[in-house]
Parts: sequence; structure tokens; C-alpha cells
Amino acid sequence: MTEPEIEDKRITLAEAAKEVPDGSTLFWGGFGYQRPPIAFSAELARQKKRNLNICTCGSEVDIEIMAGSGVASRFEIAFAAIEALGLSYNMRRRVVEKKIQVEDYSNLAMAMRFLGGALNVPFMPIRSLMATDLERLSRFRDDKKLKVIDCPFTGKKITLVPSLQPDFSIVHVQRIDKSGNAQIDGIVGEDIEGSRCGKKLIVLAEEVIDEKEIRHRPDQTKIPAMYVDHVVITPFGSHPMQVHGYYDYDLEHLMMFHKLTQTEDGWQEYFEHYIMGVEDHFAYLDKVGWDRLMSLRAREPWGY
Amino acid sequence: MGQTDEPEGQRALGVLTMEKFSRIEFLAAIASTHVRDGENVFGGTGLPLLAALLAKETHAPNINLISEAGFIDARPVEVPLSVADTRYYYGSSASIGLIETLGFILQGGRIDVGFLGAAQIDEYGNLNTSYIGTYDNPKVKLPGSGGGNDIASSAKRLIIIMTHDKRKFVKKLDYMTSPGHLQGPGSREEWSFVGGGPEVVITDMCQMDFDPETLRIRLKSVHPGYTAQDVLDNVMFDLIVPDDIPTTPLPTAEQIEIMHRLDPKGIYLGKGNE
Repeated sequence: MTEPEIEDKRITLAEAAKEVPDGSTLFWGGFGYQRPPIAFSAELARQKKRNLNICTCGSEVDIEIMAGSGVASRFEIAFAAIEALGLSYNMRRRVVEKKIQVEDYSNLAMAMRFLGGALNVPFMPIRSLMATDLERLSRFRDDKKLKVIDCPFTGKKITLVPSLQPDFSIVHVQRIDKSGNAQIDGIVGEDIEGSRCGKKLIVLAEEVIDEKEIRHRPDQTKIPAMYVDHVVITPFGSHPMQVHGYYDYDLEHLMMFHKLTQTEDGWQEYFEHYIMGVEDHFAYLDKVGWDRLMSLRAREPWGY
Repeated sequence: MGQTDEPEGQRALGVLTMEKFSRIEFLAAIASTHVRDGENVFGGTGLPLLAALLAKETHAPNINLISEAGFIDARPVEVPLSVADTRYYYGSSASIGLIETLGFILQGGRIDVGFLGAAQIDEYGNLNTSYIGTYDNPKVKLPGSGGGNDIASSAKRLIIIMTHDKRKFVKKLDYMTSPGHLQGPGSREEWSFVGGGPEVVITDMCQMDFDPETLRIRLKSVHPGYTAQDVLDNVMFDLIVPDDIPTTPLPTAEQIEIMHRLDPKGIYLGKGNE
């Protein structure tokens, strides 16, 4: 019997970010405090990417990094804030300065746009957005933001949202094998649909595991290797947010980040120190400090 | 804890300046009374979650607490900071994904009650969580809809919790993020919404509901220490004020104790009074 050939899709974070040209549209994974690809947003900033369009339900620290650093000029999103702490100050400043345009949707609308893209159909019907300013006003998609129509079958009003097939999908997961079988524990959010809708998929993972382990628990594989173009191993890639079963959020760092972003000067201080002032993700982790990182390690059985 | 007659000088300050309760405790206790046993509840973090957990510990042990991040029947041991906090997830009975909870469950018509807050509300209970200022020249970018528009569109009942600041109770919203009763009777039906719209608005001054004829906002009860006139002076729209306005019952000692057991570190409740 001949052994099947296993492709090794691993590249470095810097190589992965280089793949993304200025002006690209990205699906952005993670949900709330859970599994955001923060390391990728920082690397995009270090490489001075510009004019990206970020599409996601909601995102917190990573949105702030991309808004504050000028990496992204457009967002198609439902939510931007740091839950429990307050507003996204970088986003707020850049919107008022008109350096960023936000096309507003709801969470379900964005998830359905990703599902439509993954299914390769042009739109999806939903029963939200109608009769509000989310329907009436558009920042840049204009008449391609959504349409409310009379359903051809029932005659009743229904919203159609355009499907999204972005240039890249960026997702951060717990475990992956080198060929790209990616396992997610805990909260999934919209990452199933989001990982399938992009033209290319880059998966960041906390750790690489053997294919045997994947095949031992195939039900945990939420993203099969057949979808995956690149694998990037980024331990603590969601710091200061959390990854179920791996580490908790770093509330002290998060509060420091949020406080600094209240002013442009404060944000620039953070940006210079923790993003531009380090060579790569591992240098960032060194700067945060390994004692501190290890103290965030998740405990059983809670996963935080 | 009973209601006490207070000297006139303190009355105008309202009950929430008393030492017994913080604003958060009071709001959460009132909000919890609107959750009925056995209901499917969409609970965001913060006050709504505290209210839902309090209901579960008191009169509504069989509620099913659902997070938009994709998990069901949550029973958090520690209070979470995020709807996707592992603290919220651990102990839930199923975790599937956002389309499961916002799609199959919420849009499927299976959510009995949802909670929302807002920066602005109008007299039909329509909500703004997006922009202050004009859309073309916003002064402040707020968080946006998140799942709010979906919840307001499709939950059978909506409970709105807001701090009482006159500037938030407006004749015209700067931006309408989430549908209340829109322009009044027949509006929601015209758009074929799944859900029934807002039922009650809870502030730190009063409770308001909606007149069944006009679907306009109406004073329901005033919190101890406040009068109907105090409320009228602190809204910018025409509030319907019935003849008899009851006083909102105070939280019980048991409710306060349970809340502090649920949130021993004071994540939501704070260390002392706000």
C-alpha cells in the first residue's frame, strides 16, 4: 500500500501577512473575547498594509489595531466595542475623522452573508434589518448593501443580504495538523461559514498536532484541510483575549490597552511599544512576559 | 426590606441614592421580574445576564439562557465579560454556532424574551445603538447593532434597560438601529416581523410599557422617591401618564444577596454603590 502524501502548509506569520495585498477584503474570525486573530492584525500593521476591508460580525482588540494603525479603511460589521469595558475608541476617532467607513449590518446578517458566500449563492434572505436605518442608510455599498423585497412565494416582505466571497478568510483555532485540519473547542461563532466563504483561507492555531490525533477525534475538526491554504502556528495568538482550553483573557493588559486608546497619543504609545516596537509575534510575547502568559493558562475543567 | 417614609429633602434624590441598593442592583432586580419560568431567554452580558441569572435563582428556575455566540442553556459559575467568554459557555448544554442561536432559534421564533440597552429610545420603543450626531457627520460611533437588531426583530418580547438621562428619551432618534413598534399600530405587521416588539422599558427612575391602542410609551411605575412629574421632566417625547401610577417594589434582601453570590468579585455590581 502506498502512503498518501501529506502536504505541509505551514508558513510563518510574516509570510502569511505578505500574501495579503493592499486593498484586499478579509473575513475576520473569532467572536467577542473568543479566539480573535490578534497576532495577524498586529503583523498586518507591522507590514504597513493599507485599505483592507474587514468583514466580521464583531471584533474588539483586533478591530482597534486595524482601525488605529490605518491598515483597514473599510469595515462591514455589526459590532465594535470592548465588551464590559466600553467603546472602541480608535474606531470612534477614525469614523469621526472620516478615515474609516463602516457599513453597518446585524450579527445574523453578516453570518448569513458568509453562509451565502460559502454556499456559492448570490444572496441570503433574512428577517432582520427591515424598517430601520440599517436598511435605509448605506456608507459605501449603496444599492448593493441589501434589498427588501416582496417574497415571490408568500408576498410578504423579506430582506436579501448579498453574499460575501472575500479575498481571504482569517481564522484562529486551538489545534491544527500541518495539512490544515483545524479543530475548534468551545465557542464557534460564525467561523464555520466564515472559513468557507473566502477565496483563500489562512488558519492560525495555538499548536500543531499529529494527523493521528485529528483522526482520533474527527468530530472536533471544524475546518477540514481541503479548505485550507496556509497554516500559521501562533501560540498566544489571541492575547490579550482568550482561547478556550488554552488561556484566559489578560484583563490587566486589556484594560491598559482600552485606557490608552482613549487618546490618540495613548494609542500611539501602545502601537509603538507593543506592535511596531517588536520584530514579530514571539517578540511581542517576550515583551508581555512568559511568567504572565503562563499565569493565564486555562484550568480544567472550566477551560479558562 | 420595606419602603420607608423619607423626609421631603431626600425624596427628590430618589431611592437609588440610599445606601441599601446600588443602581445596578435595583435595575437587575426589576428586570428579573419580567422573565417568566420556562422561557427561552437571550441574555447579553452585564445587566441582562445578571437579571436572567437572578430570575433563574428565584422565580424562574427553568429558563433556558441562550448566547448569540452559539451556545444553549448556559449556567455560568462566574459572571462573564463577553457573550463569547468561556465563563459564559462552561456548563452550557450545547455549543453549535451563531446561525444556530440567532438563526434557527431566534429567527425561528423560539426566543420568548430578549434584553437590549440603547443610547437613545423614541416614543415607540425604537432604539439607537449606532451613532450620535447625523449619519453623514457622526459625533460618536457607538458599538452598532451586534445581535440587537436581530433580537428586536424576532424575540417575542423585548425588555429594554437604560440609564435615565433626558437626552436618551428623544422625539427622533439620530439613527434607528433596532425596531420597536416603528410608527405604531400595524407597522410591525406590515414588515412581517417574527417578534412582538418591546414590552417594557426599565430605567433607574421608572418602568414604562406601551399603550396597547397606540403602542406609544406609557408610564408603568415610578421607583420609590420619584414622581410621575420627575419622569415627565426627564423625557423629550410625549409620555402617556395614566391616572394611577404605582410605586415600583423595592428589591428584596434575598435578591440582593443572590446577586452578590452570583457576582462575588463585583464585576457587574461594583465594589460598593455606584
